Amino acid sequence: MKTKTLKIRNLGQINEADLSFGDLTVLVGPQATGKSIAVQMLKLMVDAGKIQEEMGRHGIDWEGDLWDFTDAYFGEGMHMMWNPGQSEIVWDGRRVDVEQIAKRKRRNKDENLFFIPAQRVLALRDGWPRPFTDYSPGGPFAVREFSEKLRVLVEKEFSGESLFPQPKRLKKELREMLEKHVFSKFSLKVDKVHSQKRLVLGESNGDGSLPYMVWSAGQREFVPLLLGFYWLMPPTKVSRRGRIEWVVLEELEMGLHPRAISVVLMMVFELVTRGYRVVLSTHSSQVLDAMWALKHLAENNAKPEALLEVFGAPNTGGMRDLATKMMKKTRKVHYFDRERGTTRDISDLDPSSEEEGESGWGGLSEFSARANEAVANAVSNH
Amino acid sequence: MAAKTKKKPTFKEVVKSTSGLETYWRAGLKALRAEDKPHIVPEDPRKLVGSVDIDAAYLATDPHGNRWDFAIGYQHTNRDEEVIYWVELHTGSSAEIKVVIRKAQWFHNWFKGAGKKLATFEKEILWVSSGSPRLSPSAPQTKQMAVAGLKQVGGSLRIPNRKNS
Repeated sequence: MKTKTLKIRNLGQINEADLSFGDLTVLVGPQATGKSIAVQMLKLMVDAGKIQEEMGRHGIDWEGDLWDFTDAYFGEGMHMMWNPGQSEIVWDGRRVDVEQIAKRKRRNKDENLFFIPAQRVLALRDGWPRPFTDYSPGGPFAVREFSEKLRVLVEKEFSGESLFPQPKRLKKELREMLEKHVFSKFSLKVDKVHSQKRLVLGESNGDGSLPYMVWSAGQREFVPLLLGFYWLMPPTKVSRRGRIEWVVLEELEMGLHPRAISVVLMMVFELVTRGYRVVLSTHSSQVLDAMWALKHLAENNAKPEALLEVFGAPNTGGMRDLATKMMKKTRKVHYFDRERGTTRDISDLDPSSEEEGESGWGGLSEFSARANEAVANAVSNH
Repeated sequence: MAAKTKKKPTFKEVVKSTSGLETYWRAGLKALRAEDKPHIVPEDPRKLVGSVDIDAAYLATDPHGNRWDFAIGYQHTNRDEEVIYWVELHTGSSAEIKVVIRKAQWFHNWFKGAGKKLATFEKEILWVSSGSPRLSPSAPQTKQMAVAGLKQVGGSLRIPNRKNS
């Protein structure tokens, strides 16, 4: 897939961000360095008309004003990140006038990017997805829209069905990995209390069910993520939903044990091999370990089994096919540097790089590296 | 009159008095094989005080041991004494890490015996692993190496004039 680029100048914490997107792109960096702003800006570049339409449909009227539009889209108070005359966005080589996006309604209403926000746990309240208008008006569009999509998905596509295990959406091997590492002996299903629908975890071999409030933190984080994956994997012969080309997934690791993270990464690979262009933001060194392994396995023409071994995935024909395709995909890793307000392409993930941002993998392996260094020094000079 | 402090012997002097190494001291990087020399990149070659082929020195007396490769002395500008770089040049895959760790164990045992005086110098114990990617810093194997006092560097060892730590 052709590399796309996004340049951002003087926007919020970002002084100068130069991002290029491969089939799979990972953004890393400390908190509040602009990763989330960058991916929301990507969504705006790709889906401006659809965003305008959705905001209008839910009663948001920004009256052509850039600040009001910014607050409605990025979230209340975010207009402050605009630096008049200084902020600049260049999407795939073309300068984009965001003020014009706020002023004029776009004719193209296609949706090309699906956004799974870091705050996805908010999407389920009392075990049922919240509609767009259930959020306070200052909530970021990405969170409200994701929540709304889950509501429609669960209401229209899962009437009375079990949501997990769900044979029509996920490969058998991925389902089995999820059963082992996330759901244990539970299934996810729709239940009713006084006519009110809700999602519950039910024991596979019994009638007992656990309501949302007693789910583990990891299960609460994971269920909206799973529903997001379901949305992207329609139960039909088509591999992608509608015109969706891009997927943004923020902080996939939230609340999850490393084994569960491995399964989610395999599900991300499934998306990439279906032809989605996936962008992840992460604070997990495991995600970069995975990118590093992918790079070296691909460069050394490793067999697909080697990649499956990294993830503890079963060695079946379907999974080998997934691994083979994945190793041919293009990968990018960008580091958001807090001190400079810039980004750096660290796709080589070279632990011996003289650039600390790269050798420390954007700060994610910095602690391990320092611990190793301290122990090696202590032992060698004991 | 203040008492004279006894000057610590140099790297060269200690090598020449170490059992098994007496005749193995070489100036600069001359103890290294021609193909190994490009993997050592000193900022100032004149500060390379000398080198020793440990592997060759103990081949006859310990033919089956996991013998260490080389010792290289360098005079940093911010150190009074030479620092010894104990270097294992192993071009195999990182899967051979167990072999390198066994070599480090051989080496630590040697420090307790014949190499005791050399152990008193400031040192870096390094695996120059050309031909294989560096291990991830968070990998358990990297931690196994750290516990053995070993650090992995890339395909070449760069020695700066000013030592950082």
